Amino acid sequence: MARILARFLVLLLVVSICEAAPLFQPISDSHRSAALELFTLDHGSFKSLEETYEALRTFQILGIEKKPDVTAAACHSISETVGSLSSTPKDLFYALKANSIAECKIHAKASKGIISSLNSAVSGSSSLLDFYYSVGGLVLIKDQSSKDDLQLADAEGVFRSVKAFSQSDGRWRYSSNNLESSAFAAGIALETLAGIVSLASSELDQSLISTLKNDISKLFDSIEKYGDGTLYFDDKLVDGYEYKGPLSATSSVLRGLTAFAAVTTGNIDLPRDKMLGLAKFFLGIGVPGDAKDFFYQIDACACLDSNRVSIPLILSLPAAVLSLTKKDSLKVRVATVLGSNAPPLTVKLVGVFSSVSKDASLVESQELKFDQGSGLHILNDLLEIIDVGSYTFVFEVVLQEPDDEKVYVTGSQTKVPIFVTGLVRIENSEIVVLDSDLGSVESQSKLDLTAKNAVSLSANHLQKMRLSFRLTTPRGLAFKPHQAFLKLRHESKVEHIFVVGNSGKHFEIVLNFLGLVEKFFYLSGKYDMEFTVGDSAMENSFLVAIGYIELDLPQAPEKATRPPLQAIDPYTRYGPKAEITHIFRAPEKRPPQELSLAFLGLTILPLLGFFIGLLRLGVNMKNFPSKPVPAAFAFLFHVGIGAVLLLYVFFWLKLDLFQTLKVLGFLVVFLVFIGHRILSHLAAASAKLKSA
Amino acid sequence: MGKLWVISIASISILLPFLCNAFSPESPTDRRLLVLLDDFAIKSSHSIYFNSLKSRGFDLEFKLADDPKIALQRYGQYLYDALILFCPSVERFGGSIDYAAIIDFVDSGHDLIIAADSNASDLIREVGNESGVEFDEDPSAMVIDHISYAVSETEGDHTLIASDDLIKSDVILGSKRIAAPILFRGIGHSLNPANNLVLKVLSASPSAYSANPKSKLSTPPTLIGSAISLVSIVQARNNARILITGTLSMFSNRFFRSGVQKAGSHTKHEKSGNEQFLTEISKWVFHERCHLKAVNVKHHKVGETDEPALYRINDELEYSVEIFEWSGTSWEPYVANDVQVQFYMMSPYVLKTMSHDKKGLYSTSFKVPDVYGVFQFKVEYQKLGYTSLSLSKQIPVRPYRHNEYERFIPAAYPYYGAAFSMMAGFFIFSFVHLYSK
Repeated sequence: MARILARFLVLLLVVSICEAAPLFQPISDSHRSAALELFTLDHGSFKSLEETYEALRTFQILGIEKKPDVTAAACHSISETVGSLSSTPKDLFYALKANSIAECKIHAKASKGIISSLNSAVSGSSSLLDFYYSVGGLVLIKDQSSKDDLQLADAEGVFRSVKAFSQSDGRWRYSSNNLESSAFAAGIALETLAGIVSLASSELDQSLISTLKNDISKLFDSIEKYGDGTLYFDDKLVDGYEYKGPLSATSSVLRGLTAFAAVTTGNIDLPRDKMLGLAKFFLGIGVPGDAKDFFYQIDACACLDSNRVSIPLILSLPAAVLSLTKKDSLKVRVATVLGSNAPPLTVKLVGVFSSVSKDASLVESQELKFDQGSGLHILNDLLEIIDVGSYTFVFEVVLQEPDDEKVYVTGSQTKVPIFVTGLVRIENSEIVVLDSDLGSVESQSKLDLTAKNAVSLSANHLQKMRLSFRLTTPRGLAFKPHQAFLKLRHESKVEHIFVVGNSGKHFEIVLNFLGLVEKFFYLSGKYDMEFTVGDSAMENSFLVAIGYIELDLPQAPEKATRPPLQAIDPYTRYGPKAEITHIFRAPEKRPPQELSLAFLGLTILPLLGFFIGLLRLGVNMKNFPSKPVPAAFAFLFHVGIGAVLLLYVFFWLKLDLFQTLKVLGFLVVFLVFIGHRILSHLAAASAKLKSA
Repeated sequence: MGKLWVISIASISILLPFLCNAFSPESPTDRRLLVLLDDFAIKSSHSIYFNSLKSRGFDLEFKLADDPKIALQRYGQYLYDALILFCPSVERFGGSIDYAAIIDFVDSGHDLIIAADSNASDLIREVGNESGVEFDEDPSAMVIDHISYAVSETEGDHTLIASDDLIKSDVILGSKRIAAPILFRGIGHSLNPANNLVLKVLSASPSAYSANPKSKLSTPPTLIGSAISLVSIVQARNNARILITGTLSMFSNRFFRSGVQKAGSHTKHEKSGNEQFLTEISKWVFHERCHLKAVNVKHHKVGETDEPALYRINDELEYSVEIFEWSGTSWEPYVANDVQVQFYMMSPYVLKTMSHDKKGLYSTSFKVPDVYGVFQFKVEYQKLGYTSLSLSKQIPVRPYRHNEYERFIPAAYPYYGAAFSMMAGFFIFSFVHLYSK
């Protein structure tokens, strides 16, 4: 229960957010335009007959002329449903309902067939909805074909079997084996029973009717309530059952009540305020965005507008914001929920209470003048006796004809929040820098708070700054705005805000910088000053730049708190970064090539000198072995040395160390062998020579 | 009977790809949305907004926030791609959803819309805090603006604000300018300055402040001026997107349809900017826009086509990547002049803006620095509103091999000459020494 209650509180909040002032406006043009938007055709017709009926009914209630033409398509599907033998009572019911507005011609033969099939459906019904559709169908046929002889055979028996679904708390069940009772079913049951009463051949037993009336008042005892007097019915959310919400339940109860009240004589005893509470509920939800909800709302409003119990009258104001400068007058409209005119009545302004002090009324009770042309109740000179501010106006509606009191319900008193706005005078504004200890004025500048100022001040931490001004209302009284802020913004975007206080009309703020040093985070430098005064009753609220003050504050001690982090501008946070290119190492410096070549030439010189020296010494080859075998060895030995040297050249040109060593290995073995032979030959030859 | 089984299984397996057309990297737009409400009345009073979402192809599932059967995931799989919290007053969610479940939901890359209100519960405030915003702590405070309020005949407390201080970003708000001011009534929030993922989309005017309109102010309000954010967005590092606002009524049919006239201005707009603003921003939040993907990252030496396993210092290389933007239905080439690639080892050695061919192919070429080590090709692309791209590919760079150095240096010719003349001399000398007499 608590959960459900909490949810409704939320609904209320949603409602109160959507309709901020707890002031209920009757159904208006916004509903008409919304209706055309919500009930849209799908290929030239509505999806079902039920939807067709809802659309047509809504258009009819709202009196929309420019509706989409669906009559032909609707008539086609109505006659199809009516003519078909396989149609269920539900289909027939909605077909007939749609037909009650579309007014198509139904074949006499077809209607006879329906009557018999519906009659048999009534007798074969076992659940509330079966009764509802079949009885409802018969009632519709009776209305449309004006067949007065159409009657239910055993009206009282049917009545009793429907009544058997009722519960002790005034709610009803859908069928005998369904234990859940609901307010939605109660509305359906009432409508069905009203149909049975109208179809009965003779007067029904009065005791049945009176127990039913008793049930209705029990049902209204279980009504749920919001804080502002709004009333509604709701069903508990139960698993496995289609939860329809308070709107459908309340609408259903109202429809049933209206239908039942229309067919019975005598009073239905209900507290009159309850109808007003229900009216507030339907007006409070604004414009629903769902076609079904919209239909429920409009249909319920139509029921409220034309029921026999009591018709609620709604007091509304075209404007709750009144301007003294424009000399607005207080206008009040009293109308029914659908916005049609109320019977002759007078509207009294009982009291006006300031939102600040709620003790005494500010004006005496007076009557508003009725303007026949516009249908509004007007009070013109009120604003001359009241000052700017926000007020609660209390109105009372009194019906002129005593007979109307039985038909209409107005509620006792209506409280309406009203804002009276005007221009507030600003005077004597000045900004002063004072010496702290002596209080002597260092520098003083007058301010014009209607335009931008460019004051430049400077102060140190031993001085004070004072900003002062006066505010007076149009009637010369003191005015305390909701918003009076002085803002100091340092270059580093750190902001400090001060509320300017007042004594009567005089407003003053003194900033003693000595005490503020810590709050200012010891940040010296330029502080831009901005001054804002605003109030909901003030038409000339302003935000004005005063200029700047150059503050010279002491150095921050070690432990001083750091200024808070400031958000980074999102536009600069993103974007491409600066390109980076790698700086390569510079190559090492080398001598010019000519120099290298010159030195190359120099390195050849010793070899030349060696050749020249050899020639000068007169070298010869006389020792070369003359015998063929040693000569061949000598030749091979030098080829081998040459090959090693050539290998070095190749090593330099292209070979790597491993290739070179491999080849060198073979050459070395060869050279050792050959070298040993030739050298030993040469040594033997020279030894022979010596011994000889 | 058996035949029926086969048919039904076959039809399910055929339908399966269509049933699972949910969020995937290939089509990043969200599909399934869970809407948590305080009351079903919101479904009807905010129907224009919901219908615009439905008409764009989203599956909306409406549940009461305290419904005991709600869950975000089942068997480890998320059931929804995005969550809309239109339940400002909920103290505890029903089912398996709680604060941690919502944070996990976002942490796994799903989107979130939070609408708080003047009666916002601690739970909703905490979710906001986690996203990087702080709602005004005073529960009865509302944003008041006595200068740029919306002119209204019936409401005079200046809590209905006409704001037009929007973020200057076409990619978030669409290319069509939002001409009409946006109606707002609710609580303000401030951004956490330490969080650089959260952005103000709609901020209050400098004259606004957040306070209880019904009581006198004695101390300065905590939130004031354009520091108040009315609507903020977050793009998390995993590209989850969050929309945070302190009002539920902003989404309502009443505000969508309502005309608006800003105080002090004489132009009266037939319709407020709410519908356009919220529709455009929902496109952003649900990844119908500004979602980038990068494919075909390639790099190779100039003149070659194969990707090497490593580069040598001082190689000339080419790097290319294709970037596409999701348009809601298909991937379109992304065109921008600020996509940069970094050649990175602890810090960028090369950072270069890539050129593009207007078909989404971005490429550039540069010389590998003469530093060896393990480098990365990095594309860290962050742009206001877009999902961030973060590509990195590791690539080692080696120094010259011993045989890759220059071999015949002219400056060394004298040494060569000396060595070879020595060798020639030795060859001659061997004859002279052995055979001369």
